Amino acid sequence: MKPNTLSTFLTSNIDLKEAFLQLLFSSCQIKQVNKGDYLLQPGETCTHSFFVKKGLLRQFSLDAKGKEHVLQFAPENWFMSDRDSVFFHEPAAYYIQALENTSVYLIDEPFLTNLAHKDPQFLDFNLNLLHKHIRQLHKRVQLLLSATAEERYLDFVHMYPDLMLRVPQIQIASYLGITPESLSRVRSDLAKKNQGR
Amino acid sequence: MFHFTFDLLNHQKMTTKQVEQVITPAGKHFVGNGFFVHNIIPGSQGLSMERVSPFILLDYNAPHYFAPTGTPRGVGVHPHRGFETVTIAYKGRVEHHDSSGGGGVIGEGDVQWMTAASGVLHKEFHEKEWSKKGGMFQMVQLWVNLPAKDKMSKPKYQALANDQMGVYELENQAGRIEVIAGAYKTTQGPASTFTPMHLMNAHLVAGGKAEFNFPAHYNTALIVLEGKIQVNDESAVSANQFALFQNEGEAFTIEATENAIVLVLSGEPILEPIAHHGPFVMNTKQELMQAFEDFNEGKFGYLED
Repeated sequence: MKPNTLSTFLTSNIDLKEAFLQLLFSSCQIKQVNKGDYLLQPGETCTHSFFVKKGLLRQFSLDAKGKEHVLQFAPENWFMSDRDSVFFHEPAAYYIQALENTSVYLIDEPFLTNLAHKDPQFLDFNLNLLHKHIRQLHKRVQLLLSATAEERYLDFVHMYPDLMLRVPQIQIASYLGITPESLSRVRSDLAKKNQGR
Repeated sequence: MFHFTFDLLNHQKMTTKQVEQVITPAGKHFVGNGFFVHNIIPGSQGLSMERVSPFILLDYNAPHYFAPTGTPRGVGVHPHRGFETVTIAYKGRVEHHDSSGGGGVIGEGDVQWMTAASGVLHKEFHEKEWSKKGGMFQMVQLWVNLPAKDKMSKPKYQALANDQMGVYELENQAGRIEVIAGAYKTTQGPASTFTPMHLMNAHLVAGGKAEFNFPAHYNTALIVLEGKIQVNDESAVSANQFALFQNEGEAFTIEATENAIVLVLSGEPILEPIAHHGPFVMNTKQELMQAFEDFNEGKFGYLED
C-alpha cells in the first residue's frame, strides 16, 4: 500500500541524489525486534531514533499504579524516538516496544546532524519533519483537552487507517485517553449512524 | 454454463490435465488462538492469488488436538470486504456470528459460505460445548474472490449442512463425491456462487478411482486431507499435500492408495486486478483505502467481542 523503504520515504519528500541515498543506507543499521520485545526501557539511554521498515512499535509510560499510557504508535514509515535519550542524553522516560515482529532502521543522531551540515536540502527536510511533529503534538494535546471521544477516535483512524486491525483495543483506548468501554460505545454509536451507508 | 457430463465414449476428445506441482506446505501459524493453519494460497511458491483465482486464499488446519477449555478458542471480531469466506469442517465444531445477522454452528461435513461482499464483521470460535470436551480439529478455510461488479453487493450467509451436499456414489464401490458447489457429473452442489466453480470432497476407499473433468482454463487444484492418492497414475500426493494442475487438458484421475479424503477445487479465473491488504480484497488501492475508512467509521456495522 505504502512505500516501504527509507529510500522511497525520503525520495517522496525531498530530491536526494542517488549517491547520497547510498551513503544513508550504508550508515543505517537494520535491527530486527520480536513481537513483545523492547527497543528501549526507562532509565536507558540510546543514541538513535527508529524508522519502521516493517512492523509496528509503540511508545508508552507506566504510572505509579502500574497503568500503561500510550504516547504514540509507529507503523511502517513512521519515526519513533525517545527525545530525552537521543537529543538530551538523559535517561529515557518511555518504553519503546514492538507490537509485531518489526524491522527498524537505527538512525544515529550524530549521523543526522552530519547529513544536515553537509546538505542544506536535508536540513530543510529534517526541520520540516520536526515542525510537522510539533504540529501533530499540539493537535494531540488539543484533542485530549477539548475533543469528544468520538472526535479523538475519528482523528486516530484517519491518521492510522489500519491500526484498529493491528492493535488491541485496550491500547488504542489508552492512546485516546478513554476507557475501553468508551471506545466500544463510540464504535457502536458510529455503526448505528453509518451501517450500510 | 458448461455442463459436465462425463461420457466415456467421448474420452478420446479430452486431453489429460497434468499436475503442475505438488506442494508440501511450510510452517503453521495461529489465527487467533483457535485455528492452527498452514497457509497454502497465496503463501506457497507459485500459488499467487492470481494463479489460483477465484481461490485467493487457502488456510489448512491439519488435524490438531485442542485440550478441553471453558473459554472457547477462536478469532475475535474482524472485518472482510470484497470476497467470500468458505469454511469446510472435517473435525471439530465452529460457531460463527456476523454483523449482517448471519450465524450458525458447523460440524463435521458441514460448510459455511459467507459472502462478505460490501462488508461484514464476524467472529469464529470453537463451539462452547465442543470446547469443553476438546478434541481433534481439522478445517479448510478458503477465500473465494468476487468479480468487481459483485464486490459491493449485499452480504449473505449460506449454512450448508452435510445432508444437503450433492452425493455421487462412485462405480465399483470406490467411494463417493460430496459436491459443495458446482457439479460432479450430473450431481449438483447446494452452494450458490457468483462465478462458475466446482468444489467437492472425494471420499475414496483404498484402490478406489474417480475421474474429473473441468475446462482447461479453470484453475484446478486439490488437497489431500486424509490418506494417500495417485493422480493420473504418476503423481503421488499424501495427506497435507496440495496439488496444482496445469491450465491445459480437462480430465484427470485420482486413485486412492490408502483410504482418502480429497478436496477438489476448480474455478473460472476472475481476470481482474487484485488489490489486497489484510482482510480486504478489492481491485484498486483507492478501494482498499475506502475499505479501511468505511470499516473505521462503522459502515460494516458493529459486533460485540
